[in-house]
Amino acid sequence: MSTAPGPSGEQATENRPVSRSFREPTPRPGQLLGSNGLALLGLVLVVLIQATLVARIRLLGASPNLLLVSTIAWGLLHSVGEGVVWAFAGGLGLDLITGMPLGTSSLAAMTACLLTGLGRNRVFSNNIWWPLFVVALATPVYGWIVLLTQQMRALPVDWVASTVHVIGPELALNVAAMVLIYPVLRALL
Amino acid sequence: MNRASNRTFIYYILAAISIALLVLSSTGKLAPFEGVMSDMARPLLLGFSGLGRQINNTFTTVRDLRTLRTDNQSLQSLADTLTIDNLRLKEVESENQRLRELLRFRQLNPTYDFRGGQVIARVISKGPNNYLSTVTIDLGSEHGIQPGMPVVTERGLVGRIYKVGPNSSTVLLITDPSSGVPALLQRNRLVGVVDGRAGTPPVLDFIPQEGDVTTGDLVITSGLGGSFPKNLVIGQVVEVRQRDYEMFQQAVLRPTVNFDRLEFVLVITNFKPLPGQPEEMETVG
Repeated sequence: MSTAPGPSGEQATENRPVSRSFREPTPRPGQLLGSNGLALLGLVLVVLIQATLVARIRLLGASPNLLLVSTIAWGLLHSVGEGVVWAFAGGLGLDLITGMPLGTSSLAAMTACLLTGLGRNRVFSNNIWWPLFVVALATPVYGWIVLLTQQMRALPVDWVASTVHVIGPELALNVAAMVLIYPVLRALL
Repeated sequence: MNRASNRTFIYYILAAISIALLVLSSTGKLAPFEGVMSDMARPLLLGFSGLGRQINNTFTTVRDLRTLRTDNQSLQSLADTLTIDNLRLKEVESENQRLRELLRFRQLNPTYDFRGGQVIARVISKGPNNYLSTVTIDLGSEHGIQPGMPVVTERGLVGRIYKVGPNSSTVLLITDPSSGVPALLQRNRLVGVVDGRAGTPPVLDFIPQEGDVTTGDLVITSGLGGSFPKNLVIGQVVEVRQRDYEMFQQAVLRPTVNFDRLEFVLVITNFKPLPGQPEEMETVG
């Protein structure tokens, strides 16, 4: 790989520097929610709100998945690795509260969160529609992993009915939730 | 290690931990840990659940007030005076009403021993994760609750105890796809099994093709198999599905219990499911 001195004397590589907006944002010290403590507090709140308040919201026969939406927004705005870690921790919390076997929500949320790695450093990564597209993609992934774990535990699973009646409405609600959550998180981070 | 392979590495590690936890949890090996954690989360859940109820009640009260104002123009001034008291008393009144109905149900069914439990967290059908229809109640093994015990309200069957912690239990609702309740039609004693369905109402399945089922028939527990007591109301037939090429016909039910508005339930504590019933599935703590 050839290098040539740049106008300011620094070495420029063949790979042109990526513009600031396409790089993964790095939090400045003291930024709101930049510290892990605050983020953890936020995560605990998300899990508790999901298990108690959001469960009361019944639209289209389903409830939005606040944990999934939040971790995906975090993954998009911060870094995929952090999103995966928060998805793991939040999933464990949710499983403990809701009585699901430990690890079910973690596995599903982490795998769905990996999708936030798609399109990073590409032109459309800053597109306003991108978070909505990712969450629309992640919701079925999350749902199918949960269903798969249920099937592996020898529970009867109706894949078609669950996809139509559970994952479909949840997808619409998660996209709507992302419209609200993403701008707020972006403003805080 | 670059950023992409680093996050893939993190993912694999955490996924392996999740799968290990999933296996251990499914086999009940993590029961003590889960029990302790659910006990620790209980006060927070109670707080948030209470907050949710308050918000619900506020919306309901606001709706009621709007109707009252329209209907009772002449009583406007009196209504304004009583609004503050009304807000406070409405909650107490509705709670009192529900408890009275539960008490009446208990008096009408003297053969069962009941424990009253308050719903502290809900996963109603597509609840927190939309894939498990459960509610959590604030009674556990310390109150004599055991897996498999039937859970009812004054309106009918809710489900059965699925997981038990020291101070809380998870109730698997009859609307969960993994739930199966032996049942019969009250009118002609035709037997079947009420199965939960994902996102749709439960269905009375395995009804013989020649069986007479009509809309409006009442479905009650049959007691067959020993997993539930007899004669608990489950729901009413709202649709009959009969296809000539199938061995059985099905009846779609509207449960008598409103699972979206569950707040208080009763656990039948002197009914023990027969051995081999699903009550032996999982125990926490």
